[in-house]
Amino acid sequence: MSSRFPLFRKRDLLIFLLAAVLAGAGFLQWLPKSGAPVAVIEQDGKEIRRVELSSIPQPETLVLDGEISVTILLEPGQVSIIHSDCPDQICVNTGTLTRPGQSAVCLPARVSVRIVGENNSGIDGMTG
Amino acid sequence: MNKNIAPSSIKKWTAVAGAVVILLAAILASMVLYPQSSQGYEATTWAMGSYIQQTLYGSSAEEAATQASSAINELENLISWRVAGSDIEKLNSAAGTDWLELDEHTIDVLEQALSVAEATDGAYDPTILPISSLWNFDSDEPTFPGDDKIQEFLPFVGYEFLRINTEDNTASLRNHGNGVDLGGIGKGAACDAALKVYKESGISGGIIAVGGSVGVYGEKPDGTDWRISVRDPDEDTQDGLGVLSLEEGCVSTSGSYEKTFTEGDNTYHHLLDAKTGYPAESGLVSVTVVHESGAISDALATACFILGLEDSLPVLKELGASALFIDEEHHITIAGDLEFEQISTNYTVSRQSL
Repeated sequence: MSSRFPLFRKRDLLIFLLAAVLAGAGFLQWLPKSGAPVAVIEQDGKEIRRVELSSIPQPETLVLDGEISVTILLEPGQVSIIHSDCPDQICVNTGTLTRPGQSAVCLPARVSVRIVGENNSGIDGMTG
Repeated sequence: MNKNIAPSSIKKWTAVAGAVVILLAAILASMVLYPQSSQGYEATTWAMGSYIQQTLYGSSAEEAATQASSAINELENLISWRVAGSDIEKLNSAAGTDWLELDEHTIDVLEQALSVAEATDGAYDPTILPISSLWNFDSDEPTFPGDDKIQEFLPFVGYEFLRINTEDNTASLRNHGNGVDLGGIGKGAACDAALKVYKESGISGGIIAVGGSVGVYGEKPDGTDWRISVRDPDEDTQDGLGVLSLEEGCVSTSGSYEKTFTEGDNTYHHLLDAKTGYPAESGLVSVTVVHESGAISDALATACFILGLEDSLPVLKELGASALFIDEEHHITIAGDLEFEQISTNYTVSRQSL
C-alpha cells in the first residue's frame, strides 16, 4: 500500500472517475436533446425522416408518394415543400422553414414538415 | 508519512466525499443551466380534418398525449355529421321525427353551440348544414350553388329548430330538412377534450393545436406564459402578425383566407352567414377569440367574424371572452384584456375596452 500519494491512490482515482462519469451522464440528461434545429418530416403521423438542418450537405429532394404526392426540398439550413398534388397548395405557399417552431402542413396528403430544436423564437403554438 | 497520524481510511473517505461533492455540484450546475430540457414530448396526429400537434411537459407526457388523441377521435366519432353512425348523423337523419338519446359529450357540445347561437342571435348557427352542404367548402371542388338553391334551403336553417334536454340527454331537430353541422365548434371542443385529459394526467403543462384552435394547460418548464403566434392574413410566412401570451384557456381564429375558391369574378370564403346563406361581408379578415372554453372560443370566432367589430363587443363582454380583430384596412383592434406583442409593422393597432 503506497502512502506517498495520500489523496490519489489508484482506488480513489477510480472513484473519482466513476463520479465524473456519473456527473457527465447527469449533465447530458439535462441537456436539450438537440440544440441545433432539426427538420422532422411526417406522413400520416409517422416519422419519415429526421435530419439536423445544418448537417445537410447539398440540396436533396424527398418525394413522398401516396394518393397525393408531396415533394420536399432539403437544403443546407432550410427545408420546404416544393410540390404537392393537393388542390389548395397551402403547404407550398408556406414557403421555406428555417427556425424551430415553424411548420408546413399538407392537410390533404397528411404530410407535415416541422422544425424542432431549441426554440429561440419562444413561440409555443400558432392560431389562424 | 506516519500511518498513525493519517490512516488510509480517512484519505479514502475524503476522496469519496470529494467525489460526491463534485458529482452533486455538477448535477446541480447542469440543472440550473438547463432548468429541464426545453423540449417537451411532441405528438402529431390527424383528426377532424386537421393537423393536431401536442407538446407536453412533465412525467407521463407520452401517455397523456395518446389519451388526448383517442379522446379527440372519440369526440369526432360522436359529433361529425360526416361519420356514419355518429350522434349528429343520427340526429340529422331523425330530423322531423322524434327526440333521440345522445352521448353526454354530444349534448355538452350542442349545449355550448346553442349558447353561442343565442348570445349572437344566430351569427354562429349550428344548424347551418342545409346551406354549408350546398357550398361544400370541405370538398376538393366547392362550387357556387346558385342563388335559387340558397333561397330554397335557407328556411331550413335556424338554431331554434334544434332543441336539447340536458336532463335526459336527448335532442331533436324539429323539421325534416334541418341539419346540424358542428364544423364551427368541433376543433375548439377537441381542445377542451384534450385539456380535460391533461388535467387528469400527471403532466405539468401542455399545449394542443387542432387546426387553428389552441388550448393550453398548466405551466411551461420555465414558468413563462404560453406564447401563441397569430397568423398574418396577408402572408403565408411563418413569422406571424404578433404574439398572444396566455396563462390558460383556449384561442381560436376564423379567417376569410382559410378556405376559399374563385368562380368567375367572385372569390368565396367559408364563413357563411346563416341569415343570407352567403359568405359574410363584415369588413373583417380574421377574428381571434380567447376564452376558457375551446368550444366557445371557436364558435365565437365565427360569430364575431359574421357580426363585425361593433356588434361583437357586447357579445364578448357577455360571454367573458376577449378578441383580436383584423380588418380589411390593416387595422388590429384588441377588445378586452389581452397581452399582445405586435411583430408585423404592416398593421396599426388600437385597444377597445369591453
